[in-house]
Amino acid sequence: MQVINQQFIVERDDYANAGKVSSQVKQTLNQIGIPGELLRRVAVACYEAEINMIIHAWGGTIQCTLEDNGELTLTFKDPGPGIPNIDKALTPGWSTASEKARQLGFGAGMGLFNIKRVSDHFDIQTSPQGTTLTIGFLVTS
Amino acid sequence: MKCMKCLRACPTNAVFIQKDRVHINHSKCINCGKCLDACLNQGLQSKGSTLVDISNYDYTVCIVPSSMISDYKTHEQVEELFYAIKLLGFDEVIDISDIEGQVTKEAILLSDIERGKSLISSFCPVINKLIEVKFPMLLSSITAIDYPSEIAARQIRKRCSDKGKVGIFNCCECIAKLNLAKYPYGNHQFEVDHALAIVDIFPIIKANMGKGKLPVTLCKEGLQSCNPAMMMLAENHLVADGFDKVCNILEHAEFGLLNEFDLLTLFPCFNGCLGGNLLWGNSYLTKNNIHQLCKAKEKPISDLPFEEIYGESTIDNVNDMRSIQEKLVFFSKVNQQLEKLPGFDCGACGFASCRIMAEEIATGKKTLEDCRIHRNEVIQDESK
Repeated sequence: MQVINQQFIVERDDYANAGKVSSQVKQTLNQIGIPGELLRRVAVACYEAEINMIIHAWGGTIQCTLEDNGELTLTFKDPGPGIPNIDKALTPGWSTASEKARQLGFGAGMGLFNIKRVSDHFDIQTSPQGTTLTIGFLVTS
Repeated sequence: MKCMKCLRACPTNAVFIQKDRVHINHSKCINCGKCLDACLNQGLQSKGSTLVDISNYDYTVCIVPSSMISDYKTHEQVEELFYAIKLLGFDEVIDISDIEGQVTKEAILLSDIERGKSLISSFCPVINKLIEVKFPMLLSSITAIDYPSEIAARQIRKRCSDKGKVGIFNCCECIAKLNLAKYPYGNHQFEVDHALAIVDIFPIIKANMGKGKLPVTLCKEGLQSCNPAMMMLAENHLVADGFDKVCNILEHAEFGLLNEFDLLTLFPCFNGCLGGNLLWGNSYLTKNNIHQLCKAKEKPISDLPFEEIYGESTIDNVNDMRSIQEKLVFFSKVNQQLEKLPGFDCGACGFASCRIMAEEIATGKKTLEDCRIHRNEVIQDESK
């Protein structure tokens, strides 16, 4: 049975609302009362992925599901343009962020690397038609 | 009165109204005092100790924080203030600006040792409680330094051990500090015996002003530590004031966006402790006074060993003993109830949001019929 199943939409270049979805996800998990250390990892990963969608992709959807066995899955789906070189994108410090994004303090090139580092499960599928990032956490006490 | 101003003002949804009476859920309350500020009818009040308590002790000491001193511009006036407080019946009046200076310095030293951890300074009880209630993932970032008044009280206790029954009174500039002394949390061996609300004793102090002087030297660093604009800033330190801004900063810290800062000093009140709600002065004027006072002769910051200022637990360790499984089951139950509620968060049931009402229903304390909108719909359906 699913305890949480939430869908959010993220708009392209919507810097004003950057982080709102992560805030909501965090708030929901906080309401359940999951341990602080895990909550922090989820928050960091979700925020990074959400920002990636805004600055690199053309927006997209975020799905957050939590099964009653404690499997938390965050799925980030975007319609493009895809990541040309996934190995490079996973290298810390490598960034293709636009000048505008960098001026706003984003695009340090740590995003995907950080997400992979903090998550229990990490999967990324990319093509010019879009990227699907799936990250998983195991919620235990 | 059914204005529900307090219900709306509470940032942690700790206030609820049942049978026309306002209740506070103490596990959620962070003592910020927003409900008291919002209350138009003086229905809600926070009472400090009274001066009558002085007679219960053989030897009494009054602790004066820097924020109280800030109401006076010149050093002479501060000396008059200390004498005026002494006339209330105290044997000793103690200025703690040197200790305030030391804890500020000590927090910076700690953050230099633990670089990259974004430590949060622990001198405001509201911030500590806020993190516990709303930002639990930052609990490990709070510095393990005690409140200045507590450190001072411990020193007084040691020094006056031969003076019989010693009573330590703390003048409080805000509701949080008042409540901290009345209902200590976390730090179980609380040394301050009584908390006095500064507004309560102000009329008597005013009458006593100008009757004499008590020599005082003030510590510049301590005076400056009660206002965010005057704190000495290094590039890796962040200082913020105002409740919303502070919440915003804590949220950023949770997302790991503030890793470049080693120390976060946060004040929930505008203008820091000078904006405490039990002070009578305008915090911008008092800030100016502090500037003037800093020019006077200086006392060096105190030099207490670290174990004296170390506060083992400044926060409650309320362990939620339920397992994750139980938490998930409860959360599902709450969500099921929430779907049946209207979701307007109207507050007519006495709870600040439909989610809290759903929690009450899930634990069996309330029923769905206690929701006025739901009940109205049922009645309308029946009449059709």
